Amino acid sequence: MTIVSEATPSSDSMRSRDATVRRFALTDTVFRESTRFSAILVLLILGGVAISLFAGSWEALSKFGFSFLTTESWNPVTENFGALSPIYGTIVTSGIAILIAVPIGIGIAVFLTELCPRPLRRPIGIAVELLAGIPSIIYGIWGLFVFAPFLQTTIQPFIINLFHDVPGLSSLFAGPPYGIGLLTSSLILAIMVLPFITSITKDVFDTVPAVLKESAYGIGCTTWEVTRRVVIPYTRVGIMGGVMLGLGRALGETMAVTFVIGNAHRISASLFAPATTISATIANEFTEADGSLYTSSLVALGLILFVITFIILAIARYMLMRIDARTGA
Amino acid sequence: MKPMLSTELNTPDAVVDKAKIEVKNLNFYYGQSKALKDISLSLPERSVTAFIGPSGCGKSTLLRVFNRIYELYPKQTADGQVLLDGQNILDRSQDLNLLRTKIGMVFQKPTPFPMSIYENIAFGVRLYEKLSKAEMDGRVEQALKRAALWTEVKDKLNASGLSLSGGQQQRLCIARTVAVKPEVILLDEPASALDPLSTAKIEELIDELQADYTIVIVTHNMQQAARVSRQTAFMYLGELIEFDRTEKIFTSPREKRTQDYITGRFG
Repeated sequence: MTIVSEATPSSDSMRSRDATVRRFALTDTVFRESTRFSAILVLLILGGVAISLFAGSWEALSKFGFSFLTTESWNPVTENFGALSPIYGTIVTSGIAILIAVPIGIGIAVFLTELCPRPLRRPIGIAVELLAGIPSIIYGIWGLFVFAPFLQTTIQPFIINLFHDVPGLSSLFAGPPYGIGLLTSSLILAIMVLPFITSITKDVFDTVPAVLKESAYGIGCTTWEVTRRVVIPYTRVGIMGGVMLGLGRALGETMAVTFVIGNAHRISASLFAPATTISATIANEFTEADGSLYTSSLVALGLILFVITFIILAIARYMLMRIDARTGA
Repeated sequence: MKPMLSTELNTPDAVVDKAKIEVKNLNFYYGQSKALKDISLSLPERSVTAFIGPSGCGKSTLLRVFNRIYELYPKQTADGQVLLDGQNILDRSQDLNLLRTKIGMVFQKPTPFPMSIYENIAFGVRLYEKLSKAEMDGRVEQALKRAALWTEVKDKLNASGLSLSGGQQQRLCIARTVAVKPEVILLDEPASALDPLSTAKIEELIDELQADYTIVIVTHNMQQAARVSRQTAFMYLGELIEFDRTEKIFTSPREKRTQDYITGRFG
């Protein structure tokens, strides 16, 4: 009996241990519930945004129906609205921006992780990240007052002359050199998304195990072959993530694009022609939208942008799933 | 007593074969710190040489000099001479990619490339040779057979290299190294991450490969060194303490430190 009583803790210390356990259980519950609440809050906000966009755009959607998506004309006077040209402008500018920014971004990342002399590595890395910190309004005024006139007087006349009798390209680069337009916006967007793509790509390149690169160099690969066949395949999910982040930014970018795109509701084959994007249209016209149909049409544009972003993210996910399934990784 | 490190003394008595790799007065530095001190030794052709010694003694460093993989890192430098068939590979004019096709390397952890099993092998071959589809199929099959992996993977050559088990991945890495037809194979603790069964398979493989290749293996496992190698080098704190035929090192070492190490008194 004495042995048992010695082994059993006294009732005092038992009580304090019980209290501690209860306190732990309480803080644990609070922690669990608060994280759960935060997670659910995201869904609620997302749902709320979707519902209010849908409700706000209901008037326009019920009046124009599906033809809202396929009509090019945007006439506030006759109250006849169609979203085709902003959709076209949004997708084309973002697409061209990504086409330009991805190879350059990956190139910078390869240089920084594989080739760059050590003392240069930090300055270049910081410079690229500072690009991301420049407010978009500054890209806008720089684009309008410096970059667009430069394009107008030098590059655009040169390209128009170069391609004026090449079939196909002549209509892609046609018309008077306005300076502002689709291509100018795309270039500005490319500069703006470049730091996102570069810094994410650089980070994921740094995660490639040194020994994997050593084995590739060890069978006689050059830096290009190691990058192309080992580093990029190993990090493709991360790179894709960076590209999607950049694309998301490009699709939604408003201020800089509004400055340099020309804000014209028409679709023309030429990349030099003024056009518009969804976000530029909303920003430009919200204050002057009189009449509920006009306002509702602008909200409908917002809904379309929301859906486009969603679809692109879904496609990216699907592509990643297919790639993973193929390599069995 | 300071060990004698002249070239003649460091050639095992019984080994009269032609030297494949000759190291002369090699020093190696990680930044300021000296990791290899005046190493000289001569590795005979078509045989297995083991490097043993406690962690940090420089055996992996020495191995990494042979294919100059250390040059991927800016602060690592070597001086002295390493002669491959009489040619100094530390010479600036040595083409690195060519050198590395002649001297293959297998690492401690399996490192399959992020591609299919077939491509893991074909990739390296394709870098330097233009083969037809049929020739390439043959080369892949031959390499996988050499690495004793063919029967296990022949029905899933298009599966990812990463889907194999650890032991299979390591044999895939050996197959990949063999496929580019190197002259020398460097093995950096190739079995330390593997179970005993896979280790036995790798050792068997090393035994077969020495008929055609000069093999250098770094290992922490002294039984492994005794089992697979013809000559053994014992290193300690960046110095080559003793280099001789494996039986000699393990039965009657000349140096006290060698004896202490192999009998487990330190290290």
